[in-house]
Amino acid sequence: MARIGIYICECGPHIKEAIDLGQLQNFGQGLAQVVFAKSIPVLCSPEGQEIIGKDIRQQRLSRVVVAACSPKEHEDTFRKIVRQAGLNPYFLQIANIREQCAWVTADKQAATDKAKALLAAAVKRVIQHEPLETQEIECQGDVLVVGAGVAGMSAALLLAQPQRRVYVVEKSPCIGGKAARHAHIFPHLECGSCVLAPLLDEFLHHEQIELLTLSEVQGVAGFYGNFTVRIKQQARFVNPAACVGCGLCLEACPVRVRNEFNEGLEERPGIFLPYTGVLPPVPVLDKKHCLHFRGQHCQACREACPFGAISLADQDRLQEINVGAIIIATGFDLFDLQKAPQYGYGRMENVYTSLELERLLDAAGPSGGQVLLRNGRMPERIALVHCVGSRTARFNDYCSGVCCQYALKFAHLLHQKIPGVSLIHFFTDLCLPGKEGQRFANRVLRLPGLELRRLPGPEALEITAAGGKIAITYQDGEGGGEGVEVDLVVLAPAMEGARNAGEIARIFDLPQGAGGFFTEESNRLAPVATARKGIMVAGCAQAPMDMASAIAQGQAAAGMIISDLTPGAKLALEPVTSEIDAHLCSGCKICLSLCSFQALSYDEVDGVAAINAVLCRGCGVCAAACPSGAIKAKHFSDRAITAEIGGLLSDDRF
Amino acid sequence: MTVFEPRIVGFLCGWCAYEGADAAGRARKTYPAHLRIVRVLCSGRVDPQFVLEAFRQGADGVMILGCHPGECHYKEGNLQALKMTAILKKLLGQCGIQEERLRLDWVAAGEYGKLVKIVGEMVEKVKSLGPLRLREDGGGINSALTRH
Repeated sequence: MARIGIYICECGPHIKEAIDLGQLQNFGQGLAQVVFAKSIPVLCSPEGQEIIGKDIRQQRLSRVVVAACSPKEHEDTFRKIVRQAGLNPYFLQIANIREQCAWVTADKQAATDKAKALLAAAVKRVIQHEPLETQEIECQGDVLVVGAGVAGMSAALLLAQPQRRVYVVEKSPCIGGKAARHAHIFPHLECGSCVLAPLLDEFLHHEQIELLTLSEVQGVAGFYGNFTVRIKQQARFVNPAACVGCGLCLEACPVRVRNEFNEGLEERPGIFLPYTGVLPPVPVLDKKHCLHFRGQHCQACREACPFGAISLADQDRLQEINVGAIIIATGFDLFDLQKAPQYGYGRMENVYTSLELERLLDAAGPSGGQVLLRNGRMPERIALVHCVGSRTARFNDYCSGVCCQYALKFAHLLHQKIPGVSLIHFFTDLCLPGKEGQRFANRVLRLPGLELRRLPGPEALEITAAGGKIAITYQDGEGGGEGVEVDLVVLAPAMEGARNAGEIARIFDLPQGAGGFFTEESNRLAPVATARKGIMVAGCAQAPMDMASAIAQGQAAAGMIISDLTPGAKLALEPVTSEIDAHLCSGCKICLSLCSFQALSYDEVDGVAAINAVLCRGCGVCAAACPSGAIKAKHFSDRAITAEIGGLLSDDRF
Repeated sequence: MTVFEPRIVGFLCGWCAYEGADAAGRARKTYPAHLRIVRVLCSGRVDPQFVLEAFRQGADGVMILGCHPGECHYKEGNLQALKMTAILKKLLGQCGIQEERLRLDWVAAGEYGKLVKIVGEMVEKVKSLGPLRLREDGGGINSALTRH
C-alpha cells in the first residue's frame, strides 16, 4: 500500500477562485491509499516546499501528488523537494489544474469536476510509478574533429585542454580549408591569410591537438561517450620532423601536373607544396603521378633532400582511436558546373568560378595576384554572375547566402587591380544579410564602371563564345532579350555539401538534406547537434555560411561537448528511457526500424532487440509499437498510463 | 432527460500540443471541460491499446495531438502516430465504434487558438454521435486488451 500525500495549490486567487477547493480536497481525501489532502496558498513558495518535505518525513509518505500549475512550470522544483526529503524524485505526479483546468474552464462546477478527474488520475498513476535512478557511465573525454577548415580548427582549439586530446582528421595535406585560400575576406577586405594566421598557428602547434593530414575515417563503432574510430592515413613520404620546407625536392621532380589546390590554374611537381604559404609547410608526394610509383627508377626528390626527410618506403597507416564525441566539419564544394552547360564553364577559357578567382586575386597565388585573360591581355569588361545553380528548382532551391557579398568583394578588388575595368553584375536579388552586408554593398555599388543587370530568375541567362570574346544573352526585368559582350566571366556557383558528404553520411550514419548538407537535430534549437547523440556538425558541412558563422558553429559544437563530457568524469544518463524485457522480446525487429536515434540494436546471439540507454531519448515510440509488450517506456509505462486513463474516467461515481 | 456531457481523453505530446494546451490557459482561452489530458513524451508513444482502454473505461472520444509533421522532437514519432491512427480507425469500426470518435491532429506549442477550436469541434462531434455504448463484451475491445 502506498501512502500518498495530496497537495493542492491555491495559487493565490488563480486556482482557488476557479475551482471549489473544499470539494476537491474532500474528494482527494477519499481516494484509495491517500493519507491526506491539503490546500496550501502558494505551494511553490519556500513555506509550501517546507511543508511537503516535513510531511514526507513525519507522515512516512511514499508518494506525492501535487495539484497545481503545469508540470512544465514546477515539476523540477517538486521533484527536488521530494528527493531532498528522501523519496525517489519520480514518486511524484502533478495534476495540471491551473493551465489545463482553472484557466480554461468558465463554469466553476465543471472546473471542479474536471479537477477531480485530473486528481484521481494523478493518484492512480503515482501508485504505478517506479523509482528511477540517474545512471552514470565511464566515458572518453577525447574528441575527434573531421575537417581542418575554420570550423573544425575553431572547435579543436576550444576543446584542446590539458586533460583532453583532440584528434583532427583532414583528408587534404594541409589545414585551413578553403578559407585559407581566400586572398581577401568580406566585408572588411582584410588579407585572408593575415586574419587566419593566429588561428592556424595556434592550431598547428597545440600540444593537445593531434593533426592527421591525408586521413579519412573508415569506420565508426560505439556511441556517445565511447566511440571507436578507424582512421586511414595515406603516406606523405616526407617526414615532417626532418623537413625544413626548403623546396629542393620540388625543384628536382621532373613531373608536371595541374595543381588542384590552386584550382588547376598552374602546374605543380609530383612532390609539391599545395600552395604558397601552406601549413604545415611540408611537401607531399603524389603517389598517383610520381614516376617512382609508376614503375620508373626515379629517386630525384629523395636524392635532392639534404635532410634525409624523404622516404619512398613510407606506408599508409591504419589506426584506431577512442573518443567521446565527434564533430563533422567537412565543409563544402561548389555546384558542379558540368550540370549547367548554359554558363559555358569548361568550354570557354575565360569563364572562372569564384574559387578560381580567389586564387587569381591572391598575390601569393598562381598568377601573382594578376587577373589576366588566358592570352595575357587585361580584361576590359567582366561579368559577375550570381546564383549559379542556386535558387532554382532545377538544381538547388536555396540561397547560399554569401555569394552576393563575395561577388561585390570581387568587384571592389577587380576595380582596384584593373584600371578602368567595367563590371556587370547579373543578379536576381541581392542577398546582403547581417549587420554589415548592406553597408558593404553601398560602398561597392558606388564604384565607377559598375553596372547591375537584374534578371527575372537565376537561369535567365546564357553564356556562349563570340569570336575572342564571351557573349551573354539574358532576359531583362520585363522579359525582353538582351545581349552583352565581355572578356571574362566570374560565376558564383551554389555551395553544396562536400563532394564526399554521401560517404561521410554513410560512415557516421547521418541524415543529409538539401544540397547534401548534413541535417541538424533542430534548425532552431539545436543547429549543430544531429540525430546521432555525440556527433555534431559545424560550418559548411551543415549549411552554406560565411566564415564568421562557421567559426561560431565550430565553437558552439565544442561548447556542447565541453559542457557535457568532462575528462575523467562520468556521463550522466537521462533516466526516462525505454527498456526491453528480453524474455518477452520475440526478435521481430519492428522497433529497430522505428527508432530515429539508432538506440535499438539486434542481438544476433540471443535473437532479441537491445536498447542503448545512452542513445535512447525516451520517446516511447518503440514501446507503443512492440507487439509483445516487451518494451517498457520508463515513467510512461503502459501501467502508469492505463492507470491515469482509469482515473480520468472514474467520475461516473462523483 | 439529462444532457449528454461526453468525456474525451486527450493524449498530448509534451513538446508541442501539451505546451499549446498550457498556452491556452495562460491566454485564458476557455474551452469545454470535457477534455481530460494525458501527457505523453511523444504522440508516437500512444499505444493503440491506450485508445482502446480509454473507450473501454468510458471515454466517448479520444484525441491524439502531436507536433506538426517535420517538427517532432523525436524526428518521426508523430508520423508513427499517424500510421497507427489510420489502422486503429479501421479496427474501431470493427468494434462498433465510429471512427470519428478518434481524432489525430497537430498542434504547435503556440497554436492555442487551434487547440481551442479543435477541442470545441471534437466535443460537438461526439455530442452529435451520442454516448458510446459498447456491446456487453466491449465490442471486441476486451479481447484486444488482454495485455493489461
